Amino acid sequence: MITLNVNGKEHQVDVDADTPLLWVLRDELKLTGSKFSCGIGVCGACTVLMNGQPIRSCVLPVSAVAAGATLVTIEGLSPDRSHRVQKAWLEESVPQCGYCQSGMILSAVALLDRIAHPTDTDIDTAMTNLCRCGTYDGVRKAIHKAAKSPKL
Amino acid sequence: MSNTKSPIVGLNSRRDFLKTSVFVGSGLMLSLVLPRGTARAAQSASPRSPSGFIHIGSDDVITIVAPAVEMGQGGHTAMCQMIMEELSGDWAKLRVEDAPADPLYNNPMINMQITAGSFAVRGWYPELRRIGAAAREMLVQAAALQWGVPVVECSAEQSIVTHQASGRALRYGALADAAGKLPSPATPALKEVAAFTVIGHSPKRLDVPPKLDGSALFGIDVDLPGMVYAAIRGAPTLTGKLKSFDDSAAKSQAGYVATVVLDDALIVVATSYWRAKKALEAVTTEWEKGKLGGMDSARVSQLLRSGFAETGTVARNDGDVESARANGAMTLEAVYEVPYLAHACMEPMNCTARVSADAAEVWCGTQAPQAAQAAAAAALGLQKEQVTVHSMYLGGGFGRRGQADYVGQAASAAKAVGRPVKLIWSREEDLSHDYYRPAAAIRFRASLDAAGALTSLESNVVSASAPDFSRPGPPFYTGGVWDTTYSYSIPNFRVTGLNKDFGVRFGFWRAVNDSHNPFMLEGFIDEIAHHLQRDPYAYRRSLLQHQEAHRHLAVLDLLAEKSGWHKPRKGRHLGMAVFPSFGSVIGSVAEISMQGKAVTLHRVVTVIDCGVAVHPENILAQLRGGLVFGLSAVLRGEITLLDGAVSEQNFSDYPILTIAEMPVVDCHIVPSTAAPGGIGEPGTGPIAPALANAIYAATGTRIRTLPLAKLGYTFAASRNRA
Repeated sequence: MITLNVNGKEHQVDVDADTPLLWVLRDELKLTGSKFSCGIGVCGACTVLMNGQPIRSCVLPVSAVAAGATLVTIEGLSPDRSHRVQKAWLEESVPQCGYCQSGMILSAVALLDRIAHPTDTDIDTAMTNLCRCGTYDGVRKAIHKAAKSPKL
Repeated sequence: MSNTKSPIVGLNSRRDFLKTSVFVGSGLMLSLVLPRGTARAAQSASPRSPSGFIHIGSDDVITIVAPAVEMGQGGHTAMCQMIMEELSGDWAKLRVEDAPADPLYNNPMINMQITAGSFAVRGWYPELRRIGAAAREMLVQAAALQWGVPVVECSAEQSIVTHQASGRALRYGALADAAGKLPSPATPALKEVAAFTVIGHSPKRLDVPPKLDGSALFGIDVDLPGMVYAAIRGAPTLTGKLKSFDDSAAKSQAGYVATVVLDDALIVVATSYWRAKKALEAVTTEWEKGKLGGMDSARVSQLLRSGFAETGTVARNDGDVESARANGAMTLEAVYEVPYLAHACMEPMNCTARVSADAAEVWCGTQAPQAAQAAAAAALGLQKEQVTVHSMYLGGGFGRRGQADYVGQAASAAKAVGRPVKLIWSREEDLSHDYYRPAAAIRFRASLDAAGALTSLESNVVSASAPDFSRPGPPFYTGGVWDTTYSYSIPNFRVTGLNKDFGVRFGFWRAVNDSHNPFMLEGFIDEIAHHLQRDPYAYRRSLLQHQEAHRHLAVLDLLAEKSGWHKPRKGRHLGMAVFPSFGSVIGSVAEISMQGKAVTLHRVVTVIDCGVAVHPENILAQLRGGLVFGLSAVLRGEITLLDGAVSEQNFSDYPILTIAEMPVVDCHIVPSTAAPGGIGEPGTGPIAPALANAIYAATGTRIRTLPLAKLGYTFAASRNRA
């Protein structure tokens, strides 16, 4: 049994130790907002926050999640899409197919926690998530917009 | 106004609406969603009634059954806009559902239930408006009957019918039952374009909110009771067959359920996806290579180019190109070539299937629900009517999900193990078992007279595809000939197409022909302009002095204006392309600077005339998205074959554009009241020729093959406009 703290709740999961965190979140905890896409930690569709840092959950064995680490998935960002990043994303209508967007949003949250007013270069460096639909302009605008609203 | 697809229980209840609404006599229905068989019969009874498209509840909630799926292109919202405009419904009360697999939902333009080819808005614009208007007239008539007043004294707005003279008003929800019993008018009055309040505006896209909190359900998110998971390994060569396998090591692994053998693939089923993947890795397989064995990309290129010596099918033949060439003062000739490309949807192919002896259900993202239905039926030996397709959000489509190979595979696995199965392809499987944008080569020959006038143009297309010249009009196909409804006036003009079938399965890729033909054609026109020492903009203009070219000219002129064509900034070089695409006319200018082979893209200006702009905000998003898709291909996109197998396995060797590489984009829509053109695909094509032509302007080097990385170019985008 492995204990995980996800979105403020403790969960006991009985899975193979090498199972990537992504599949534990998706298939055991039914938190399907985190997506599988490349499986090698490149594209960022599986991004979740561990102790506030964005991580690629598709390549992190669940047994490597540090004891006591707090995990946040897109489902736990706010109860009602009220996080400033979600609001900015709505205002800018950022998503297209939407598949990469959970990871995009969580990467943006982590960026704004680290740098209150990121420059375009900060965004280019931090936002390594891939989007096949090409929502990058919207992502950039929404990050700048969110940076202007107060952090709750 | 949320269309969050709720968990599986909700999915069932969603289907319950479709299945049971005809039986609910509780007076809620404006229109009854017909049971399957009835709907099929009704399809021939044109025009369609609101049945099957609009449901209004006593709570005033309007549910629209969208005949186009949502893959990020805004299909759901656009379908609803067209109905809601004429229905005069309250947008805040709107919900949207995906249509089941049923010919009732065949796109009227192509008579297929497929969301592809930028056909959704084009094909449904007249029909959905008419359906919405018919429903509005039925509601108004129901109110007039109830009040005993003439219909003409009543009006409808925001889901309320009002009788101005008496001040009476009734909500749609209170009228729906009575309205549903009235005959559906065949030719209801439609609004004038100038009176539109929904079309041409940009209501918040319906699929955006659930994509912000993880509640949007894609195919990969489906969860059924008792479900097991499947991983798949396809034949490495695309024509390969399974020869032998040894799964003894897999069988002893935790959670192993079964091995399912297909002709060209092997599936392992286990109690979790991770276990299925690990167990599959423990299986050894031997494959026959089939026809493609020994084939590699260099050979593909050689065979394509050898096709110029053969006679192709004539797609268009105006005048006499041979005489024109013989009599011309000079001939210009060039060969262009593009490689195979993969779709690389962010959501890998997947499908969940539940199968019983005489019925099956499949859950998946699909652009073609009836193709999914047919694939499952074929795999299971069922009639297609026995298969229910639950359409989910698509994590990208781009043409890939018009194919239903993954649906048949999931159905086979579910039948074999007797339990619901969720099959998920790895990214490696997804990239190496795609239906690829075909490789193609085009030879152009142009003749000029002594005064420099373009007297003939011949284009010989050789494509690893199957052009279909059997239909009237421009050839519609998966591969290689450009749209022969070509705008430039050239007195002698011939297009031929030749198919080279290597056995690489090919498919529709975003923009289809226009993913590569504009690169070739607009590149060659640029070559002619430069040969004549003419400005590429002015030269194109000179070829567009005929009546049918007015849209094309307007786009060209606005493009020149917005891009600062006549006054490029110091050190900047501009390249232009403009062409008709999916019923629209589109053009782009790329603004670059260069140091050696290092390209810096400073700005892309794009102009489109897409007729009535149904959702302007989304159109701009589609133009930017198309640009990103096209630019990825221009820079680095190439699927290579080695001994018949695809080499590229993941985003590490099939890289797509990153946010850091996103150029500044400036998009403009030409105002129009004409019927809508396509918007999902046209944006993909212009960047290749615009960028290649800009590189020529900067360096004098002509780009005739892609991707640029293979030619030694490096790329950066600059956000600095100074």
